Amino acid sequence: MKILVCIKQVPDQESRPTVNQAKTWVGYFENASYWINRYDEHAVEEALRIREMIPGTTIDIVSFGPERVKSAIKRCIEMGADRGFHLYYDRDDYHSPSIKSRLIAEFCKNQEYDLILTGVMSEDMMSGQTGPMIAARLGVPSATSVIKLEINTEKQSIQVERELDSGHRCSMELVLPALVAVQSGINRPRYPSLSNVMRAKNTEIREIRYTDSLPASKYETVERISEVEFDRAGIRLGGTTAEKAAALWQLLHEKALI
Amino acid sequence: MNHFMRNKSIMIMCEQSGGRILPVTHELIFCASLIAGRYDSRVTAVLPGNIADTDSISGADLLVINSPGLAEYTCEGWEKAALLAAEQIMPDIIIIAHTSTGYDYAPRVAALLEGGCITSVAGIEFTPEGIRYRRSGFHGKLDLLYGAGKPPLVITVLPGAFPADDQQAEPGTVSYIEAAIDPVFTSNLQYMIPDQSNTELEHAEVIIAVGKGIGKIENLQMIRKMASCFNRSAIAGSRVACDNGWIEYNAQVGITGKKVAPLLYMACGISGSMQHIAGMKDSKTVVSINRDPDAAIFRHSDICIVEELEKFIPEFIREAEKHRA
Repeated sequence: MKILVCIKQVPDQESRPTVNQAKTWVGYFENASYWINRYDEHAVEEALRIREMIPGTTIDIVSFGPERVKSAIKRCIEMGADRGFHLYYDRDDYHSPSIKSRLIAEFCKNQEYDLILTGVMSEDMMSGQTGPMIAARLGVPSATSVIKLEINTEKQSIQVERELDSGHRCSMELVLPALVAVQSGINRPRYPSLSNVMRAKNTEIREIRYTDSLPASKYETVERISEVEFDRAGIRLGGTTAEKAAALWQLLHEKALI
Repeated sequence: MNHFMRNKSIMIMCEQSGGRILPVTHELIFCASLIAGRYDSRVTAVLPGNIADTDSISGADLLVINSPGLAEYTCEGWEKAALLAAEQIMPDIIIIAHTSTGYDYAPRVAALLEGGCITSVAGIEFTPEGIRYRRSGFHGKLDLLYGAGKPPLVITVLPGAFPADDQQAEPGTVSYIEAAIDPVFTSNLQYMIPDQSNTELEHAEVIIAVGKGIGKIENLQMIRKMASCFNRSAIAGSRVACDNGWIEYNAQVGITGKKVAPLLYMACGISGSMQHIAGMKDSKTVVSINRDPDAAIFRHSDICIVEELEKFIPEFIREAEKHRA
């Protein structure tokens, strides 16, 4: 089987986003650290598990973004993926999922992937669009929020279980090739083994460079970014830890909650 | 900028279950009617299904896309139904509910129509430059206002973001398209309802919820101890806490878990993604403890405590014990 896993690199959720002057995008200037989108890490793990079941399976990783994205791709190779592809684009701006899905779909042409895996959404933007859009552009079926999957090599199909609203689930069989966007409960991602870390050092990440500006505004634009408004009082307790604990007890006691 | 509502046509996709229109549909109609009122547009609600006969609905014309292959939701079936309806309706905007069905096929429809796509929209605003769609981003820390590019624009709207249409508007017309939409990629569709009941959580007056910030399973001990400071308390977790195996999935709070509304909700080390907020926003009082001063959860809390859990919680337990003695 030939598997592609699409990953996104996201800023650590405790990093502080700084809004640009035009208030249309953000940068991460202070102590920013980046990691693989948690949901995509589950997708990589799922690919590795399929390869353990089906010998001869190859796993490619693709990601879009600036130079720093290479470290996320490398991490996937350290986890055990075979090859990495970097769709290099250095402009720090809003990148529409429509554009990203188009570039990844173009990348997929002639590669004949049997299965494309990705996370159900990114941790930071939570749009959940890029995966299904790639599938639509390639004319293949897709399923989102998948918490269980099994390949049937004989039938060239994949059995998936989706998580629906309020705890319901549904299962179905999809014809391969297909795209599956996994939900986080599907597995526990492994840590890189020493041998794979060594191998990753010698694995070249292939780069496909986009130097022209991408026409993002064609689809949708981010017009303004603002602070989220408080929908509750948001009283911040001050003082030492002990003083805060005492103040909290007092407040809860006044409300007869403790 | 561009005058967006060129065709003066808004299409919504009904949420349905076995051909029955679900209440969230009326929230979509409300959202559509706000835009329709501004831009003098007509609203058409599309109902895919295998339906002999259906009542009209208020606030929108109903277009039933009928096919035996649409008896149950499939991604490909709904995609084809939406495309077929869009051909007929020529919408400027397509409004879909951000549910497990909606977000499954909506981006595909946008890609195939080459239009823009904005998911999990929480509100709309009207500006001289056009309609703005609000959603949160960057781990829920910031609000983003989007504008539309090339029509049609596909949006998915968060359930609960708009009130249900008051149903006082005139009922619209009903029309049918007999289509031959059969799933070709999908088979063996089965629905399951696993037992996820958790009576303790459902009846709790105080919920202590833990997130990624508790760091390790050993820290659950202090959480349990804190819970025992309260009467009728229960422990719950965010999605990450459940994925990490710290908390059972039947105690997960959020869009994909349970919706709770206790007298007191204490969020410990929970960042406060939109998915989580949706599950606890109706709590009477919300207290949050997080070491990240910018954590999104603080914007949805009555009382905010910027502290390390491992320092603060034992201190709070000491305080509670002091008063008990």
